[in-house]
Amino acid sequence: MIVGNGAANFAAAFREDFGLDGPLLVDPDLRAYRAAGLRRGRVELLSPRLLGAGLRAIRAGSRQTAVEGDPWQLGGVFVVRPGGDLAYRFESRDAGDHAPIEEILTALDPATPAIDESASRSPLLAFASRAISRVIDPLIVPSFDRNGFRLHALGFDPDDLQVDLAGRRCLVTGANSGIGYETALALADLGGEVLLLCRDPERGRGAAESIIACTGNPAVRAETVDLSDLDSVCALASRLGEQAVDILVHNAGVLPADRIETAQGVELCFATHVAGPHLLTRLLRSRLERSRDAHVIWVSSGGMYTRRLQVSDPNWMSRRGAYDGVTAYAETKRAQVVLAELWADELADTSVVVNAMHPGWADTPAVRQSLPTFHRVVRAILRSPAEGADTVVWMAAAETARRWSGRFLFDRAPRTTHLLPGTRETKSERASLWRRCESLADAAAARKP
Amino acid sequence: MRLSTRLARLTLNDWQGDPVELGSLWKHRPVVLVFIRHFG
Repeated sequence: MIVGNGAANFAAAFREDFGLDGPLLVDPDLRAYRAAGLRRGRVELLSPRLLGAGLRAIRAGSRQTAVEGDPWQLGGVFVVRPGGDLAYRFESRDAGDHAPIEEILTALDPATPAIDESASRSPLLAFASRAISRVIDPLIVPSFDRNGFRLHALGFDPDDLQVDLAGRRCLVTGANSGIGYETALALADLGGEVLLLCRDPERGRGAAESIIACTGNPAVRAETVDLSDLDSVCALASRLGEQAVDILVHNAGVLPADRIETAQGVELCFATHVAGPHLLTRLLRSRLERSRDAHVIWVSSGGMYTRRLQVSDPNWMSRRGAYDGVTAYAETKRAQVVLAELWADELADTSVVVNAMHPGWADTPAVRQSLPTFHRVVRAILRSPAEGADTVVWMAAAETARRWSGRFLFDRAPRTTHLLPGTRETKSERASLWRRCESLADAAAARKP
Repeated sequence: MRLSTRLARLTLNDWQGDPVELGSLWKHRPVVLVFIRHFG
């Protein structure tokens, strides 16, 4: 099966030009290329091998036509067996780097053993990754993008995710797309019982069905909740039953263009990112403590680095005329990081750990819809949603991730919470955030029927 | 996560515009997935 990078009309012409009569799929958004981890090149496209291959192709009568699709994308070949075992993997390192046909034919022989996809990386690569990361991480762009993920991933220990989550109850908010979906998919793949907490019941159900189909794990279902509506959060907590909750991932997010007030009179970003998750954590507290080792994970954003904790006008009342969704988003993402620290203190005497993380720049539907210009400019270097979700999954599943509480992680490692001057909050500002969240939660609890 | 799990849920169109779920490709027999650099 050939997968091509470009639109369907180019595929038809390509098929005709090269006399192909077999099936041909098109992937203009490069979703499958990214899911497969295939590289995009720059200088690699100028390889001498490409020149040699081009000359050979011309001698054989082939002519290069206009390039359609992403010209920087590199290719690869995979052999997948029934049941999903990977028998062959070839990722092109440059434009003239092709998979040897003999190797592909060997992989098709059922006697050829499947690839162990969890094989450990070399300690030398891990050391090199850490050393280079020290230099590039402060530069942000080469760290937050997909190349940053790849560099950091050289230091990841695949054994961390050789775990069985059977019997573990995992709740993921905003799980019908993007990082939430990928998190739920990975946790289900590891055998966990996964509840997708989604605003839209139909999309939630669709995502749950898709995850069951992909993983074969039937313990996946969707529950409807609007995190921005505190009454809806209370109703969800009542419906969930008294079973222990092992993993709670606060992932649901919004980036509104205009100031929107919820039914409780709270600005939408604050309600969705801060007040709703705070209330849910509070309502599930006893169920989290019932787990032998629960982890509450706040999915924040690298954008929070740009803002200081906003406590004087979190509801955008005095700034009403100057509402900016991106600023509101970043301010509430900063509040999530502070709130994770405060919850870690609050639960310090329990078995529950609480941490925040940021996924880097990932190509999610939310980014595409809410930040179209940013998406257009940096699309080529964005992480896949699965890469963005990697640290969430690792925090939820890996025993080694439980050594911290009250920390902010990125690519499986704790990071500083402040990169810019003037963004450090005071103790009284932290206390003010907690008071506001508690006050909203008290009011919601009082309204509860 | 296995590569096949990551790819299985994706649906791509074929050259005629008909959707194909990648997971269906290796349901009953092995498949060679060839990702080409670009058309042209």
